[in-house]
Amino acid sequence: MLLTRFWNVLLALLLGSVVFVLYLAVSMYNRSGSRTMAERLSSDSQVVSWYLKEDARERAAQLIQFAVNPELARALQKSNEAESKVPPQSQEKVRKVLKTINERIPAEFAFDAIFAVDQLGRVVDHLGYEQASGMEEFELGGYTVVADALHGYIRDDILVLDRMYRVVARPVELEAGQPPVGAIMGARIVDDRFSRELSKRTNAAIGFFARGQRVASGAPDNFDKSQLDQIVGDLEELDRDEAYKEMGRSKVRTIMGTLGVQYARLPGEAWALGAGYVVARRPDQIDNPFGFFQKSDDKDKEQGHIFVAMAVALAAALLGIVFSLFEHTRPLQIMRSEAIKLAKGQLDQLHPSKFRGIYRKIASDLNDGIDAVAAKGGVPRKAADLKQVLGDIPDQPQMSAFSFPGEASSPSAVSNPMVASKALPSAPQRSIPKPAAPAAEAANPNAPAPPARRPPPPSSHEQHADVGETKEQAWRRVYQEFVGLKQQCGEKVDGLTYEKFEVTLRKNEDTLVQKHGASSVKFSVYVKDGKAALKASPVRGS
Amino acid sequence: MVRLIRSRSLFNLVTPSCPRTLSSIAALGYGHPRNMKTTPDNHWVWLGWNRRPRKMLLTSLALLTATAALSLSTSSDAAKVRGIVAGFKLLRNPVWVEAQDASRHAFSFREAVPTVPAETRQMYPFIPKELCLAALSAEKQAPPPPVLIRIGGGRTAPVTIVVPPLTKLSFQNTDPFPHRLYAANLPSFGPSDTGRGANRDWTVPSAGVFEIRDEAAPSLRMWVVGDDNVAAIAFPSLKGEFQLSIGQPGEYQIQAFFSGKKVGAPVTIKVTTADIDIAKNPIVVAKKDSSGAKDKDKGDDADKGNSDTESGGADAGVTK
Repeated sequence: MLLTRFWNVLLALLLGSVVFVLYLAVSMYNRSGSRTMAERLSSDSQVVSWYLKEDARERAAQLIQFAVNPELARALQKSNEAESKVPPQSQEKVRKVLKTINERIPAEFAFDAIFAVDQLGRVVDHLGYEQASGMEEFELGGYTVVADALHGYIRDDILVLDRMYRVVARPVELEAGQPPVGAIMGARIVDDRFSRELSKRTNAAIGFFARGQRVASGAPDNFDKSQLDQIVGDLEELDRDEAYKEMGRSKVRTIMGTLGVQYARLPGEAWALGAGYVVARRPDQIDNPFGFFQKSDDKDKEQGHIFVAMAVALAAALLGIVFSLFEHTRPLQIMRSEAIKLAKGQLDQLHPSKFRGIYRKIASDLNDGIDAVAAKGGVPRKAADLKQVLGDIPDQPQMSAFSFPGEASSPSAVSNPMVASKALPSAPQRSIPKPAAPAAEAANPNAPAPPARRPPPPSSHEQHADVGETKEQAWRRVYQEFVGLKQQCGEKVDGLTYEKFEVTLRKNEDTLVQKHGASSVKFSVYVKDGKAALKASPVRGS
Repeated sequence: MVRLIRSRSLFNLVTPSCPRTLSSIAALGYGHPRNMKTTPDNHWVWLGWNRRPRKMLLTSLALLTATAALSLSTSSDAAKVRGIVAGFKLLRNPVWVEAQDASRHAFSFREAVPTVPAETRQMYPFIPKELCLAALSAEKQAPPPPVLIRIGGGRTAPVTIVVPPLTKLSFQNTDPFPHRLYAANLPSFGPSDTGRGANRDWTVPSAGVFEIRDEAAPSLRMWVVGDDNVAAIAFPSLKGEFQLSIGQPGEYQIQAFFSGKKVGAPVTIKVTTADIDIAKNPIVVAKKDSSGAKDKDKGDDADKGNSDTESGGADAGVTK
């Protein structure tokens, strides 16, 4: 059993190592996932920043159509000349130009609002900013983005007014080399629609925030954007992030262990107001080794070398089985066959040389035991107390043992002694007949076993049964043999009549025939534990 | 509102043909420059709140009535001082200049348009709102009636104002969204919402310079200069022309204020009942230094990305 035990210990060590490696893999996977998430978030954040800048440039380019429109320029010039009030004619012309050109702007660069501003900073007219409808003195000249445009610059800004606006502005010139006559400013509302477009183009989950609140968000289909609401509680902590305050981009933060985020401040007035955007990703982590099954996809499973794993498992199992066969099953089978031979009298003792390991010791001990018993000339045995074993003993003899034809001679077949009746007195203790020359034979293990150790050979009774006798004749013969054997074993036979014996046989025959589908049942007698017993053997076929 | 203007006309308050009356109003009204429209000869006239939202009408009427009442008592004695300022294009709006600094992250890109003259690309102020000319008397002046300050378009109007202490300023939000004004380093004027069309009053507590800011719009900055001796103020036109109406004869110093600070040398005038024209000797508010404004504004032609490090930071916006 050493090999088997060693194998079991080895397997246990391997299993422990595998568990350790798995948890190690979980830890490494999570660490790698965190690092990957951080890299992806950083990438997302920069891509969004880049996109916002490029988007602003593209939109600024769209404003050229307004800036070079002479009709618009002349209308603004007219407005400049009237310092007291914007002339209605200028308003009408500006509105017309704004509408006409705005319709030509591609949808992806369309503005939510457009403002035409004169040199005095007044909004001559606008499109899309309904909040200012009817405000005759609506102006924008104080904003740095408009001031820059009025001074000859193209630039962008993000204003946080009633909403968050991504704005671009450029000067409107009537004549090259002259000061601008005004400025044109386009605004795009930073709302969920804008966020969705941004998310679609950058494949990032994005949220915009200002004044401690999330103002817009967008996320890919596989990301629940409501998770971005979690940033509201994290924004207060953001003020303590030195990188965010100084560099404008926070470190990667994990909120509630379920959301990785990185914040970035938006340029423009939004910067000073603490407004910004956040990109988010779910941490790619698992809790335990079983998480690998959930995370892995078909491709991963294909690369998992499942056949190698199965082969290793199979080889290990086979090796274990071989070891157990070699160390357990085979010696046991040898022991069994030797024991059978011993029981049949084919052997007088076990041959230790045929056994290995502990079985050799067992065989040797058994031989010593047998020799010791033989040396004493046999040991008187107590008859079994049937009442203790079987409870109340019926008057009629009972069949308590049977065997199939192939097992008829097997001593391992369970058999119960048949008792005559309750009236029968318990058998007195009697000694089993002693062997003829126990001392001499005990010295020689190969010598035939003493007859006292062997039960009467059933083969002699079976030979009689093979003769073409009727059932009744056979039963009567069995009865005679049974009675004779009981007397021989010192048991009382008072009250054990053939009629009672026949009732018992018939009942057992019916039961066995019905149970095993046998054509008939053959009964034989033998000595069991020093008492006469009856064996029933179902006979299949005729 | 039409009725209000008509009523003023009855008292010859807003008629360009009555310069003495106009001078009196300008001197005593301390009105909002955007409400003070210029006549063809660049005279500032008070037009009142004729474009204010209806809900502000009653308040405006009350203020104007008080102003008009005071004007009636003094307008007949007011003298008009006409003048002109020069060198204002060398001034620099500090807010706009700061915004050029890339380290402030005010933009993601900023590019100069090459067809715009370099002179135009300097961030000189919009003087009708940012340059305040004050007539400083030798005597302490009483606070005038409440002065209306308009908040809208990313700035206040005016941006700089000089008033005697205890002058009540009424900030009116003309933007379609709230503002949160507060005075820097002055807890008594803390941040508070001023909704669309709403007013918020504040009385100048003492002499000194007070900077008003807006939590909702960082670029909005206003300077209130409290001066015991200010008798009249005026705001120039885009060309620099201005007109002060001084009610009491005497000796005055005309001083320009920009971004809460004095700019240029004061000009002393002696006011009698007659009008004075000092336009022949412009008030120079800034001079071109030998180091030059060009040095200060270098790189304006260049493409300014976020790596741009040009800095404004002019002292009171004056180019030295």
